[in-house]
Amino acid sequence: MRLEARGLVKIFPAPLFSGGAPLRALDGLDLEAGPGALGIEGPNGSGKTTLFKTLAGVIEADGGAVLADGAPAGSRRLRELAALCPANPRSFYFRLSGAENLRFFGALAGLSPAEAGERAARLGGRLGLSGADLGRRFDRLSEGNMQKVSLIRAFSRRSPLLLLDEPFRGLDARAAEGLLELIEETARRSAVLVSSHTPELLRRAAGRVLKLEGGRLKGSGP
Amino acid sequence: MSRARVILAFVRRDFLAERSYRLSFALGALATLANLAVFYYIGELFGAGLAPQLEAYGAAYFPYVFLSLAFFGYIGTGAGSYAGRLRQEQTQGTLEAALSTPLGTLPFLAAMSAWNFLFATFELAVYALAGAFVFGLEFPSANWPSALLVFALSAACFAALGIISSCFVMLFKRGNPLAWVLNNFEGLLGGVYFPVGVLPGWLIPVSNLLPVTYAVRAFQLAVQRGAGPAELKGDLLALAAFNIVLLPAAAWLFGASVRRARRTGTLGEY
Repeated sequence: MRLEARGLVKIFPAPLFSGGAPLRALDGLDLEAGPGALGIEGPNGSGKTTLFKTLAGVIEADGGAVLADGAPAGSRRLRELAALCPANPRSFYFRLSGAENLRFFGALAGLSPAEAGERAARLGGRLGLSGADLGRRFDRLSEGNMQKVSLIRAFSRRSPLLLLDEPFRGLDARAAEGLLELIEETARRSAVLVSSHTPELLRRAAGRVLKLEGGRLKGSGP
Repeated sequence: MSRARVILAFVRRDFLAERSYRLSFALGALATLANLAVFYYIGELFGAGLAPQLEAYGAAYFPYVFLSLAFFGYIGTGAGSYAGRLRQEQTQGTLEAALSTPLGTLPFLAAMSAWNFLFATFELAVYALAGAFVFGLEFPSANWPSALLVFALSAACFAALGIISSCFVMLFKRGNPLAWVLNNFEGLLGGVYFPVGVLPGWLIPVSNLLPVTYAVRAFQLAVQRGAGPAELKGDLLALAAFNIVLLPAAAWLFGASVRRARRTGTLGEY
């Protein structure tokens, strides 16, 4: 899929009566991506997560447009097209196992229980997450294994737009290699956006890396 | 995406989570019985004679309050569960994840509280069994088709109120004035624990503003006296009018609240 963002603006209003100023997180951002992997780097608070959530349709931009294969895509359309692996891997039901969580979120994305189970097992193998870990209650998993479940949730949708926000966080070396392979395979057919604070991994994941600063993207060499 | 599959997924998720708190499940059923026993002994204390306000229903105090509690326990699920579930999803951090999927607002609403209604049905069965076998209650005059009609209209009305209440949670996270009114005044002014005829005259018009007043009265009359739709026409029309206004308003307001939260970026906040 070919993804374009033109002049994206996102302003977070200050809470009422807080006396604070609104936060301009995206300031006329332009972007072209896919098919293939694109890396996004930038310091903390530079707007990477806001960009990913906007492209995933989770939050709505205040200005600008997103085009998917040349057609305007509003937030509803983006939620159909995009799979997001958020920076925080704790957005799961802690009393349920990893497998049950994946079955639940798979159903919301239109997967049958059999499809969700088969994809969880296959992707788990690629990331070094065993069947026993998948069957373990989510709150009893290590942070790294929580991150693997979060990655499986995103990859198992097989979406034309895959957004991976800090996907390497907490992963061991074997899982990081497995993730790099998965990104490479997925990028053959989909637009994949990856952010990371580890430059080496980001450059291995994506052939092209852009830097987000002041709410806009700038080209960045390897 | 099949809506039935989504609803089943929510029910399975909530069942598994509920089952993981086994003691809470058992204690909930015991609490229901203990609550009923309190009202049973209050009824015993004041004897079987009919208070003047109960004459219209032809029932002593305990059968009256038993029926109201069983009925309100179910329809009250609609009023409380949407806001409660939404708040739980916010604090768990799963609301944003669930609403990041292609799932639409209406299927989300339908699925979100499906487990609560199933559990309320189980509690209703506990009430029915306790009423029949522990407290020896019988309702020989009941007009069950009529009661079912009241039940359906009331459940829809309270679900709409619950959805509107959840809009406050979506936008303000904590501080829900509608839930405050529902929690604190429905029981007092709606005839759940005693007929509204007991209230002073100046409070009756306030009571008449609440759907619960019509719902409880119509249900009591259908079950205790066997009243049919013709006899309950006034209450049924009032409930239908509440539904005509509240159901579309609830669906629209919830959609608008979600859009607002997406625009302000507060979907994941709690």
